[in-house]
Amino acid sequence: MQLNISQLLPTYFDEGRKDISEIWGKELTFERGELVKIVAPSGSGKTSLMHFLYGLRQDYKGTISYGGKAIKGMEPEGFAGLRKDSVSIVLQDLRLFPTQTVFSNINIKRQLNPYHPEEKIRELAERLGIGSKLSSLCGTCSYGEQQRVAIIRALMQPFDFLLLDEPFSHLDNRNSERAMELMLEETRLRGAAILFADLERVEFFPFTRLYHL
Amino acid sequence: MALSFKIIQPLLQTGTNAASRWLSYIGLGIGVLLLLCSIQMFVNIQQLLGKNTVRKNGYDFVSVTKTVTNETMGQPDKNLFHAEDLAGLKAAPNVEDAAPLESNQFRVQLNAGDIFAFKTDLFLESLDTNFIDTVPPNFHWQVGDMNVPIILSSEFLEAYNVFAPGQGLPQVSQETATNLPVLITCSGRGQQATFAAHVVAFSDRINSVLVPQDFLHWANGNFGEQTTSGSARIYLKTRDANNGELLAFLDNKHYRINKDKVKFGRTKQTLQGIFSGLGVFGLLVVGMALMLFSFYLQLVIARSRDSLQLLLLLGYSPRWLGRKFSLRFIPIYLFVVLAALAAAQLLQALFHREVMLNRPELSTLLDWRVWLTAVLLTILSIITNFRLVNRLLRKLY
Repeated sequence: MQLNISQLLPTYFDEGRKDISEIWGKELTFERGELVKIVAPSGSGKTSLMHFLYGLRQDYKGTISYGGKAIKGMEPEGFAGLRKDSVSIVLQDLRLFPTQTVFSNINIKRQLNPYHPEEKIRELAERLGIGSKLSSLCGTCSYGEQQRVAIIRALMQPFDFLLLDEPFSHLDNRNSERAMELMLEETRLRGAAILFADLERVEFFPFTRLYHL
Repeated sequence: MALSFKIIQPLLQTGTNAASRWLSYIGLGIGVLLLLCSIQMFVNIQQLLGKNTVRKNGYDFVSVTKTVTNETMGQPDKNLFHAEDLAGLKAAPNVEDAAPLESNQFRVQLNAGDIFAFKTDLFLESLDTNFIDTVPPNFHWQVGDMNVPIILSSEFLEAYNVFAPGQGLPQVSQETATNLPVLITCSGRGQQATFAAHVVAFSDRINSVLVPQDFLHWANGNFGEQTTSGSARIYLKTRDANNGELLAFLDNKHYRINKDKVKFGRTKQTLQGIFSGLGVFGLLVVGMALMLFSFYLQLVIARSRDSLQLLLLLGYSPRWLGRKFSLRFIPIYLFVVLAALAAAQLLQALFHREVMLNRPELSTLLDWRVWLTAVLLTILSIITNFRLVNRLLRKLY
């Protein structure tokens, strides 16, 4: 599957943005297996871009298409299929169920299209240091712990593209590296691509392409 | 692996509105019960009154006469219906057909023969058999027959039984009356002929002594001394004898309608009207209950909005979520409708046994239309909810 971005620009940005950005207003194609780093300072539209790519918002000009199929105006069932089988995400604001346990939060995603067996949840949680938190309610976990829950949740499904929107904002370097390592491992397993948007370059992400938003 | 709704279920906040949920279930149950009972009572009325009604195949049969006034007295031309009057009536609003009641134009005497001393002058009339409520197969006559079948008004027999004891005459039942051989003597134009006559049926609709049209035409031709054309009464076949347009037409023509004959039909209509009203009320209650339930669903979805939005974000199909969410309520719907059906069945059984004393026209079991309504209502409720939930979920996208 390919991801194509053509002349993309948020409707609330002026056209001048196209001249200074390597993504807005450009023709870009991303393939499976690529590791794409997007460096985006605050206010450059990093979260907007991730939301556009995941289909959460449609207030943009231009087109985004997966496998040649534009997602603007796609039916809810179409998005559901895309999110279940092809595109996974770690959102900056995490979006977890605070009244559910850590295990349940991960399993709710896993059961949609299980890439891993249920036992794998514990293994991954142990690797990221939240094994003891599996039966805790998410709402009671620290932000850093919640960030790791969101990362494990994103790895429970098959995907061609893994979208990361500041996934380590509340993690220390050691935990960030561990998490990155896990994501790279899982991405390689699927032969998938990562689109990683962050405020600055992250040393431990071995990108194959670098863009400045 | 099949998707499990069990994991999702705790995310939907359904428990906090138990009161409104139960209120809507009870309302739905009462509404369904009212509706089912109304339909059953409607059927009961049809079955109870269907056999005695003056209606035949859904029609009212009523007689009309011209109003005899001081000005028209003694002027048969003005008091009788002629061919053009008949054509006018046939074309009148809501009239399906019209037929004249023809009468004898000769003298007729009836005597009970040797059985008991009863003799009276009589009149005979004939009417198109399509207008007569009870026409046995032997109600026909042809030239040469010395037997004449008669259809007698049941009211005449009742009247006879009222005055007979005072005159020293025996009272007779309908069965005996049909077995009594009587003689009718027709005379006129210097001729006289006596025929054996027997009552072959009783009519609740026609107040007359009816003989086959063939006999009356023949007898009028042979013994008739007057040559008046036209008839005093005309029978109308109509879907509704109380139709406003028809009544206005008849008033305008100064015709009188025999309303007694439609009284029974009116009673039935009134009863059916009452139960139709009750049915409509039941439908309203069902509608209100479904609406209340839909509010409850909307409330649940609104309260669970964040969770549902997150599920959709994760890739859950709105169709799957909607279906699973709606399916949860099917057992409750089935229970409510089945409970209403059981209550309606119990009421019908009690009505049949205790009130109607097991009358054979009625059934102890609910009519098939009641069952069908219950099934349709269940399907309607399920579809309505499914569509509502789907619409609400799509809005969350």
